Amino acid sequence: MKQNLIAILGTGTIAQGIAMTVARNALDVIIYDEDDENLKEALKGIEFSIDREIEKWGMTESEKRAVLSRIETTTVKADLANAAIFFESKGKSEEEKKELISNLDFISDPEALLIMTTTTISVTEVSKILRDPSRLIGLHFIHPVYKVPIVEVVKGLKTSKDTVTRTKQFLSDLGREYIEVFEYPGYVTTRVILPLLNEAMHVLMEGLATAEDIDKAIRLGFDMSMGPLALADFIGLDYVLEWLESLFKELGEAKFRPCPLLRKLVREEKLGIKTGEGFFKYDEEGKRVSE
Amino acid sequence: MKILTLNCGSSSVKYQLIETSTREKLAKGSVERIGMAQSILSITTSQGKSKKITREILDHTMAIDAILQLMVDKELKVIHSYDSIDAVGHRVVHGGEDFKESCLITNEVKEKIKENFKLAPLHNPPNLRGIEAAQRVLPNKPHVAVFDTSFHSTMPEHSYIYPIPYIFYKKYKIRRYGFHGSSHRYVFSRLKSFYDKDIKELKVVTAHIGNGASMCAIKNGVSVDTSMGFTPLEGLVMGTRSGDIDPALILYIMELQELSKQEADSLLNKHSGLIGISGISSDVRDLEEEVQNNNYRAKLALDIYCYRIRKYVGAYAAALGGLDALIFTAGVGENSSYVRKKVCEGLEFMGIELDDEKNNERSKKERKISTDNSKVDIFVIPTDEEYIIAIDTEKIVKEQKE
Repeated sequence: MKQNLIAILGTGTIAQGIAMTVARNALDVIIYDEDDENLKEALKGIEFSIDREIEKWGMTESEKRAVLSRIETTTVKADLANAAIFFESKGKSEEEKKELISNLDFISDPEALLIMTTTTISVTEVSKILRDPSRLIGLHFIHPVYKVPIVEVVKGLKTSKDTVTRTKQFLSDLGREYIEVFEYPGYVTTRVILPLLNEAMHVLMEGLATAEDIDKAIRLGFDMSMGPLALADFIGLDYVLEWLESLFKELGEAKFRPCPLLRKLVREEKLGIKTGEGFFKYDEEGKRVSE
Repeated sequence: MKILTLNCGSSSVKYQLIETSTREKLAKGSVERIGMAQSILSITTSQGKSKKITREILDHTMAIDAILQLMVDKELKVIHSYDSIDAVGHRVVHGGEDFKESCLITNEVKEKIKENFKLAPLHNPPNLRGIEAAQRVLPNKPHVAVFDTSFHSTMPEHSYIYPIPYIFYKKYKIRRYGFHGSSHRYVFSRLKSFYDKDIKELKVVTAHIGNGASMCAIKNGVSVDTSMGFTPLEGLVMGTRSGDIDPALILYIMELQELSKQEADSLLNKHSGLIGISGISSDVRDLEEEVQNNNYRAKLALDIYCYRIRKYVGAYAAALGGLDALIFTAGVGENSSYVRKKVCEGLEFMGIELDDEKNNERSKKERKISTDNSKVDIFVIPTDEEYIIAIDTEKIVKEQKE
């Protein structure tokens, strides 16, 4: 087992963010996906994020070279075998996660740490597939992972103390703050922020004020770096809708019932920054354009 | 006495084994990429033998053990056994207000170094990790800490207090600390080979111009002011650091480009200075070459760089109430005749006269480069921070034995 090798299954934005964060902290990364095209896209995505960081003075060209030199990709699962920490950030459902994690059970060193990224899927349920369920833990990252300093640590019922301690140490090494949360839909971050976003959309729909002014009032009134509508555009309106629906279903509370305006925008494929329009309009680089 | 000096970074260890009686460097080298599968371990001995090994070195303890194994290696035979080493001297970047001089490392000292983590979050933690690792490998030997800040602990209040609400000093110890202390102290101490009188009578300005750069004003043999401040960002223009700027600039830029604290920090520490102005390189040698090709921004970068050093010479001469000697040291200070000339240009009015021929001479030796008529003596003195670490360690070990 190589202490400094971190394996990542998955190529989405969260997986990319984890790879970039880990490599920036001088650890080696190997990313797995069965499709080589996905891997190429992921590397492109990481490079794009780094370039944005350089543009904003957050990184240098030589740091970029160093980070990229630490990231490898593979389409062969067995190549991951030496890793000390595994991130599963690929499965979209409990079943998919179970299958991926059970694969890891057989190729990983028994001492290796298994981490699944999760927003709603239960760590306890997934861990049942493992011979030793005590080594699985969940982490909830917030996009963009390389920038947001907070991570929620989700313990399953069988997760061991040692697994928790090692995970916390790992997060500290990455310069991340963390909070421990119990397994419960939405954890802290998603659950607290969603009603604010949803309410801002209702206020807009009811015509109380313009989108611009709603954001301005909340931003300046409560010292936030971003208003709720801009934040929803940043997260992606499809995600916001998905999370609201999931929490509405799980918790049954009206405050999580998605605002009709949100549904309308998602139907129109106005998903926020990534499609160039949501509550606001954006140019190709994701910068806000005034109407 | 055989002293092992260690300078531990987050993923590297630089070391020297010094025989203090003869000043001979029995061995020196480094371990790079600690924690990686392919760490690089290198050694060069005073016999001219050298070796480079690539192997897995996971932490500082393994690194220091690997260094010592190499030293007792039959082929290199620098020492017979680990026991031949008399003591270990550690470079520690930040001593805060707790350490006015080098000291024997006890548990209490380690606690104090830990308390100063917040003052040097990038450097002190790996320094302490190095100390603990070395204590594990050489548990029965004395370990001594030598601080980069100690030499400046003699600064008077009016040099180190910032003109911001006093409570920041009282409550958070926010003040000028200064760095490169061992280097300024070393080059100053070397003046004794050039003067018959006590060098404590001299008013001296030392300029440590490397990738990081700072200047120091020395009177009565002690530091009375230095250009780096609470962090190494203040003072001279450096390879990638801005040095002194209007502090309101950064607030304005943060607002303008919506920068986070980390981005603003990186802007000033990694994207500014020579690289920021020239857009070409942070290395003075590259820029000097570009000046030959009439590159406007390369010339501008070096002009600003040298002008800042010259301003500090003037400021420190005023602070000292006169000037007897100006010393250049470190990478750029020792090697760039261009920078030295530019710095001294226009300072003839205060008795600084550079001898062009001597300035252009390429040499690794300590030398005087001013004209015989110059009222201020100008020197190039190669720095040797490890030697300071070694002699401080030896002194403290001897005191302990008495």
